[in-house]
Amino acid sequence: MNERALGVPEEAERRLAELKGTAEHAGIFTSDLSVNEFLLVKEAGFDPVGLVLGSSIYHIGLQSPRFGQSQEITNLSQAMYEARELAMTRMEAEADDLGADGVVGVRLDINFYEFGQHSAEFIAIGTAVKGHGGSYRNAAGKPFTSDLSGQDFWTLLQSGYLPLGLVMGTCVYHVGRRSVSGWLGGLGQNQELPNFTQGLYQARELAMARMQAEATEHQAEGIVGVQLKEESHLWGSHTIEFFAVGTAVRPIGGSTPEMAKPALVLDLGG
Amino acid sequence: MLADQALDRLQRGPDRSAGHREFTSDLSIEELAAVEEAGFEPRELVGGTCVFRVGWQFMGWTEAREVDVLSTAMYESRERAMQRLVSEAARVGADGVVGVHLDIDFDHWGSGLGEFTALGTAVRHRDRPGSMRTPTGEIFTSDLSGQDLWMLLRTGYRPLGLVMGCCVYHYSAQGISQWFGNLNQNAELPNLTSAFYTARELAMDRMQKEALGLGAAGVVGVTVSQQSHVWGGHTLEFLAIGTAVRAMETATAHDPTRMVRHLDA
Repeated sequence: MNERALGVPEEAERRLAELKGTAEHAGIFTSDLSVNEFLLVKEAGFDPVGLVLGSSIYHIGLQSPRFGQSQEITNLSQAMYEARELAMTRMEAEADDLGADGVVGVRLDINFYEFGQHSAEFIAIGTAVKGHGGSYRNAAGKPFTSDLSGQDFWTLLQSGYLPLGLVMGTCVYHVGRRSVSGWLGGLGQNQELPNFTQGLYQARELAMARMQAEATEHQAEGIVGVQLKEESHLWGSHTIEFFAVGTAVRPIGGSTPEMAKPALVLDLGG
Repeated sequence: MLADQALDRLQRGPDRSAGHREFTSDLSIEELAAVEEAGFEPRELVGGTCVFRVGWQFMGWTEAREVDVLSTAMYESRERAMQRLVSEAARVGADGVVGVHLDIDFDHWGSGLGEFTALGTAVRHRDRPGSMRTPTGEIFTSDLSGQDLWMLLRTGYRPLGLVMGCCVYHYSAQGISQWFGNLNQNAELPNLTSAFYTARELAMDRMQKEALGLGAAGVVGVTVSQQSHVWGGHTLEFLAIGTAVRAMETATAHDPTRMVRHLDA
């Protein structure tokens, strides 16, 4: 079965058609932006066109790590990446359908339900936006994606940069148990646990390197707003996902506009 | 349909004669300041409630599907609570209700019974009462805070109404077990994916339809959430909720946005 064949459902196409407007009524926008974000996205020269969504429920294959060894669980890394990618691709397809230039405020969520700990729902949701005049799509001709808030999006454009795409890298790592007990002999001593240090260090580096590789593919100048998350989900404390995510950006071109000097304020709002 | 006690409270109300201003409100001090800055005065804390039986029977479905009877019940209960809140607001001559919270309490009243409540602060335009009602003369409702209301008006939009859509979906365990043969494989579960995806889209679409019905230009601050309430894990409600807005008839000029740096520690 071709997993990618599962596209945007019929109900979504109907909703998107309504957003664009029909013979009977004008179009409408929906957005999960707060009012402040809404204002700033507008001031940045973009209009929200619609809330876009992608989803994938994914069965994560079992791969029992060898107890004593610290190593990446490649099967899990792949699953966590692929499931997010499927959700993102569908969200992008919805944005593309709306003729959007990009999606801002993208949130990637994982929900576990009562269908067992080996399956999870991956969601990508954000607000599709369209720029005034000209296309702001990325080099691949697709809508850009970004997890930046409306405020950050405004500031990014003010600084002369444009988002290209949400980039991510993940590495699920198992820390072997025996390596701990090996050191418990020296309970009274202060010492570094080199296996642990090395394992976790390596896992983080792998996640970040994979994210960077995605940015290179986008021909980005850099990545802003990177978050490095660590979560065990439902795998127990010895298996950890290191997830790096950020927004790849490029300069808008021409001369970078002069940044306004920030005014200083004292907030009375306690 | 308002309770006698409510009518009594709203009618007796605060003494608004001779410039005497007194009100109740669940706005914070900052929200109050923002609401007043936006040209409104708070009138009264208004609410509505509806206790509804949302019982249902599991029909032995083996396929994922919408539970229409629950979708309708969840929607209608919230709608009734909202209608009562608006009736209360009408009694105090409000133009709108801000900061509306919708809550459900299932545990108190026994199985299948849920109490749906809506609570918010009724406000009226200070200088031109009635001017901020919807184009059809209705009271606007919104889950926006006072600050958000101020910012929305500054952006050149006005609130029309709280809009929502919900969809209750049941999925069976069978769709999952088909994969148990392939325990070691990474694979998407296409049936479940399309069930959950569809349910969320339906909720968003219904919210959108409400907004279209109000003649809105758009919906801001949408949240999409899911909860299984009291139905067990295999039945979930997907809820989309936001504030429908419309561009103001007269554009207002405002200061350009400036960057600021906080001096607070």
